[in-house]
Amino acid sequence: MNAADPPPLLDAVGLGKRYGGLVAIESLDIRLDKGRVLGVIGPNGAGKSTLIGLLGGAISASAGQIHFDGHDITSLPASERARSGIGRTYQIPRPFLDMTVEENLAVAQFSLSPFVASGTAAAERREILDRCGLGDAAPVTARDLPLLRRKRLEVARALALKPKLLLLDEVGAGLIDSEVSELIALIQSLKDAERSIIIIEHVIRIVKECCDDLMVINFGKVLARGPTTDVLGSDEVAAIYLGTSHGAAARTSTAVAPRADVASSMASTEPLLALDGVSAGYGQARVLHDLSLSVMQGQVVGLLGSNGAGKTTVAHVISRALPITAGRIRFDGEDITRLPAHAVATRGLAHCMEGRRIFGSLSVEENLLVAARRADAAERKTRLERVYALFPVLADRRNAPGTSMSGGQQQALAIGRALMAKPRLVIFDEISLGLAPVMMDRLYAALAELKREGFTMLVVEQDIERALDLADVAHIINKGRITLSGPPAVLRADERLRHLYFGTEE
Amino acid sequence: MSVLTTSVPERSLLLHHPFVRVALSGISFAALLAAPSFLPAYFVEIGFKLLLYIVLAEAWNLLAGYCGLVSLGSSSFFGLGAYVTVGLLNHTGSGIGLALAASALVAMTLALAMSRGLFRLRGLYFTVGTLALAEALRLLVVNVPWFGGATGLFVSADLPDVTELFRDAALLLVVASLVMTLATGSRFSVLLRAVRDDEDAASQVGVRAFRVKLAAFMVASALIAIAGGLQAIKLGAIEPYGSFGLQWSVDPLAIVIIGGLGMRFGAIVGAIFFVAIGELLADYPELHVAITGIILIILIRCAPRGLCGLLETALRRTGPTKVASS
Amino acid sequence: MPGLDVIVNALISGLLLGGMLALTALGLSIILGVMRLVNLAHGEFLVAGAYAGLFLLQRTGIDPLVGLLLIGLILALIGYPIYRFLLAPLAGKGSEAAMMTMFGLSIILQNLFVLLFSADTRAIERDYATIPLMLGPISVPQIYVIGFAISVALIMAVHVLIARSRFGSELRASADQPLAAAIIGVNVSRVHALTFCLGTACAGIGGTLIGVALSFTPTSGATYLLTDFAVIVLGGLGNVLGTLVGGIVLGVLQSVGGLTLGDGYRDLVGLVLFLAMLQLRPQGFLGSRA
Repeated sequence: MNAADPPPLLDAVGLGKRYGGLVAIESLDIRLDKGRVLGVIGPNGAGKSTLIGLLGGAISASAGQIHFDGHDITSLPASERARSGIGRTYQIPRPFLDMTVEENLAVAQFSLSPFVASGTAAAERREILDRCGLGDAAPVTARDLPLLRRKRLEVARALALKPKLLLLDEVGAGLIDSEVSELIALIQSLKDAERSIIIIEHVIRIVKECCDDLMVINFGKVLARGPTTDVLGSDEVAAIYLGTSHGAAARTSTAVAPRADVASSMASTEPLLALDGVSAGYGQARVLHDLSLSVMQGQVVGLLGSNGAGKTTVAHVISRALPITAGRIRFDGEDITRLPAHAVATRGLAHCMEGRRIFGSLSVEENLLVAARRADAAERKTRLERVYALFPVLADRRNAPGTSMSGGQQQALAIGRALMAKPRLVIFDEISLGLAPVMMDRLYAALAELKREGFTMLVVEQDIERALDLADVAHIINKGRITLSGPPAVLRADERLRHLYFGTEE
Repeated sequence: MSVLTTSVPERSLLLHHPFVRVALSGISFAALLAAPSFLPAYFVEIGFKLLLYIVLAEAWNLLAGYCGLVSLGSSSFFGLGAYVTVGLLNHTGSGIGLALAASALVAMTLALAMSRGLFRLRGLYFTVGTLALAEALRLLVVNVPWFGGATGLFVSADLPDVTELFRDAALLLVVASLVMTLATGSRFSVLLRAVRDDEDAASQVGVRAFRVKLAAFMVASALIAIAGGLQAIKLGAIEPYGSFGLQWSVDPLAIVIIGGLGMRFGAIVGAIFFVAIGELLADYPELHVAITGIILIILIRCAPRGLCGLLETALRRTGPTKVASS
Repeated sequence: MPGLDVIVNALISGLLLGGMLALTALGLSIILGVMRLVNLAHGEFLVAGAYAGLFLLQRTGIDPLVGLLLIGLILALIGYPIYRFLLAPLAGKGSEAAMMTMFGLSIILQNLFVLLFSADTRAIERDYATIPLMLGPISVPQIYVIGFAISVALIMAVHVLIARSRFGSELRASADQPLAAAIIGVNVSRVHALTFCLGTACAGIGGTLIGVALSFTPTSGATYLLTDFAVIVLGGLGNVLGTLVGGIVLGVLQSVGGLTLGDGYRDLVGLVLFLAMLQLRPQGFLGSRA
């Protein structure tokens, strides 16, 4: 190191985190100088939030060392790291719900300096709230804030710590464009010679306009790093964002043609699944707005969108894991809007959930059989053999505990489990999440085979290319609304697709 | 009850003015101290019981309502206070004040010693841990002959009469009220509520959650121990099943849930209700407890914020003041 | 210093009693493991089982051992409405509300027992409770052996039910991932209802056996609740066979404690062990399952 250079504010070396057999972050190095803004991007499940947790102290590292401001903070708990000047926000805001907005900030102030003069503290709070656009909300209870303002409160609360390093975890997700612009202005106003910021983000616009440097991570490893414009311009990064088969090699279309007989029968009959004006959300955050969608018998429908667009919420409302606030859902002509989840399942609607949700205390085979409980023994055996033929690795591991396998194998198990009920429609939610490309290829090959057999599928996916290869028709969902629909070929040609994904539409 | 006085709520009546509140509190406590001089003996007895219950409930509310620590171990500290007080009175000839102070100190030490293990248990498991602690202490006292075994001990020193005990209890209540005022209306209260709402998020803004919880736990334990000491002096005798009885864990919990968990006046309202029902059913103590159980189940289901919560909702609905939500 | 035969006798009675403890602890364990409910009324269900055995004998003359399954059924029938009307409506209101409701129920039941049956210490009196079984120098009451055998058999039955049956896989699936289980068609609410009934039945049957072997009062429940928690800590939550091992270990340790320190220390041993385990295992006893 050159003696003239000041030491970096943050110097993390060989950072690693594993959960059992699963590697979330692997020997990752980050150096950040005072006053710099570093962006971290990568697909869902790449390890971004784990990284924030490791730096903020919420997650303890399995390997590596973190130096901050000249001190080794590797073994310090979260509270001590916060006191030494690391402030973080949560991806899903976690304000102190029963306290006012102003009190939320006071927590940081009073824990740091219990005897600060109340006038000074109040002035500081006012300044931070004004800056974050919460000036009018000081006496409001945090519970009564809508999602966007809760996100602002996350930033404001972290600022009350007067952090030297600010960690922003996807503060832009789910915001509309004007809100993103406001957010960018806020982040830019925070930049000064003393404060460093790490921004984890899906909204590329924020990264582009705020970050000096950019780091791309996938599978817990750094794929690229450098000045923001250079990194964003590279094909490799585009491939990660638009899908791993986006490269030229994959252009040899693996697309599966719709079966002619199915296509002809589609026009006349009623859809198998129909969502009509559906709205839904979590608590006060409304995620879906008046969304309509239908899936015909034998059709493969793709539902695409970036992180936080509302894709998984659609999957959840269909399988009744989440109640809807308005609208109607019909399956095979029957209104299933008010049915409990298990009753929907018995009507032949299977849902391969995001995050796999494998039953850890059941073996691989039990995981499969529990989904086919209603069938007789012979039928169960037939279905089991069918799934084992599709994924031979499951047959090899049939007696192992479900969660002891690798991520890809677990995903295969989740797909197999959804098929075991002999469903009439399957929702596949983000089956490519956090998987290596070779494993994704295998899973999508299986889905293509199912399509040839005439399975009706709703494929919810972040990886555009893979989904477009498979689907008969696709919808792009953005901020809880369907913004673009059509056959894959048409969508591919549409410039708006790329814009929607990168958040650059005007 | 905002700590940050910058924003005075619109519905601030004269009652909410700090000086008025201090004056009102002063007058009520003066009245309380004077009360035994002109109250009939029966009411002094009831009053003593009521004061003791309010103190226990305030302490429990501090833990559960303001710090998120739902304890079923109040009886450990209550019994400990009783035994330490009686032990000191009998063996050292110390004054009552000194004995009570010592029992508070011992209780804080026990709380400190147990905190490492208990605070590792989050949520429900903390509750079970405190219950186990109370039961273990009771069995220990039953079995170690030094503590008088199952039959217990008598206080050999001269005992003050109930009037004086009433005043002591009133003083203890003053202390408890001051503690609660601090816990609900100071900078510390902001930290306390942050830990209750979201311990992890609180750590991320620099709150040392362990210390905050420990402070609340030690203070509550000290209050409970002094109450236990007073009760022992009142009875003139202690025995493990009485002093470490599960009722000393159950009653404060029931009082606070009835009155309103995390509500400033929850303990007082709940204690008055609880003692009144207890007096009405004085001849049927089992029926009293069973009815308390039924009230608990109903309130948990229908009014999680207890009587104070119901009252507040009713006032809000009828009152002309507009509520600052949204 | 007691003679060798006394020591061996004590250890064997501890082991046998531990088996019965394990059966009652199983009731607490599966309700905690599947429903994430700390059933603070568990001890009262146990005492209810003991009273059921007592009155079955007094009123109808049916031997409690013959009527064990009937007692289990009665307790399950008591359990169902409690789940349906007290616990099910609290779903989604946080685990604390359910726990406090069960606490309320526990004090209601305890005082109801006193009001209805008096505070007297009771024992279910049978010949086999007093007549010892001799095997060389070893002599233990017959009920200890019978109770142990029945308990082990029932624990094995529950183990097979959970590990092999269709209901068992639904139960494990609901415990692991309630939402995912519902999505694949498991009626999780029904699983919870049956789990709760199974739990109260185990507590009740174990309670009857303990009522014959030892004695009980309306307020015995709290001690057994805590002892059973200690068994779960030792055996691992959600591990049926581990519960049996935990029960036996605790039973033997209690006997050792009783022998070395005096009989009054029996229950204290379990509690101290429980508190010590909590200090040693930071993640608490839920740590055994991810």
